[in-house]
Amino acid sequence: MKKILLEYASMFAYTITGLIFGLSFFLLFLNFYHMDELADTVDVSTYNDTSKVNVENKINMIRNNINVYNQDSYTGSLNIYGLNNAKLRMEACLEILESDEMMRYFDLDTIGIQDAYNFTRDFRNIVLNDCVAMQINSMFSTDTVSTLPNFDIIEPYVKLNINNLLNSTNYVQNNLENSDHYYFSTNVNKINFFDIVEDSYVDTMNNYQYTLDLIVEISNWYKNVVIGG
Amino acid sequence: MKKIFNILFYGLKFLLFIAAFGLTLFIFVRMNMRLEKSIVSVLPELIPFAVLLIIFIINMLFKQTRITKNLFYNLTCCLVLGTIIFVCYRAIFDTNMVLNGKYGYGADFNYFDNFVAYIKIMLYGLVIANILFMFKEKDKKDKETKKLERA
Repeated sequence: MKKILLEYASMFAYTITGLIFGLSFFLLFLNFYHMDELADTVDVSTYNDTSKVNVENKINMIRNNINVYNQDSYTGSLNIYGLNNAKLRMEACLEILESDEMMRYFDLDTIGIQDAYNFTRDFRNIVLNDCVAMQINSMFSTDTVSTLPNFDIIEPYVKLNINNLLNSTNYVQNNLENSDHYYFSTNVNKINFFDIVEDSYVDTMNNYQYTLDLIVEISNWYKNVVIGG
Repeated sequence: MKKIFNILFYGLKFLLFIAAFGLTLFIFVRMNMRLEKSIVSVLPELIPFAVLLIIFIINMLFKQTRITKNLFYNLTCCLVLGTIIFVCYRAIFDTNMVLNGKYGYGADFNYFDNFVAYIKIMLYGLVIANILFMFKEKDKKDKETKKLERA
């Protein structure tokens, strides 16, 4: 009886050692794979070149639209405080969008997960906070701007887009911050679903372009207001 | 060949144990400093290391050859401790995990925390396996002493 028990003890000892060996082996190679995956870099040189041209075109369009108004030469009947307010706020936004902090991302040839994260974080802090929330949203909350023609038509459109933009990159940032949770991601997954580096970067870049599109629309409205009034 | 590997893994497991324990302690202490907790609260997390060390010392003192010359067990010990070291290394140095840089505490607790349970499972597993191997050791010794008595 004692012999059988001792045989069982030996068998359990080897079984437990084997299981621990398997678990340890799994965790070790899972970590190697995860580390390798997070160190992945993506070539975005062509994408960035195209995006930069688009951004520069849109910025020029906004600048041309808002330069239609000049307080010294304006002879129209519209409230100049409203026109000045809108112009100054859009100029402040342009400075932010053209700042070195944002434009440096367009010069990158390859990006890693840190670049994708920094881009998302800077987009939220600089573009969404300083431009969209502090300038554009405030602009559409001032009484002087609300007296301008067609304000009632453009205001719901702008507010809706601002709300969408403010939450647009939340999941991207959360996803990047959760990258330290290990998981199995195959190449098939990366191609078909979500490549954490490339898709996060592209998603933030798209939101950057949507922000510019919104300001282009506002500047078009502003231009028509100045010319019409 | 087997004997050489066994000696290698047997010696290596003590070195790896020191490194794994040191790095784990470092991360736990950093975590507690951030939370402004007493260092005493770290101690329960280190019990598996202490128990394993005691078991290793017992193996050494009583010359339990069934364990000390068990290549598979020594290899598993090295693999487990190597995995712990690698996890600690990533928690401290892998800046591609963005929370590591974001909070700037010198270690990614969010990542390390995921592995604490596995570390305990692996270390307690080694302890239990070691204790079970000891029973066999005793049995073998009994036989040897009986043989000597008969002679």
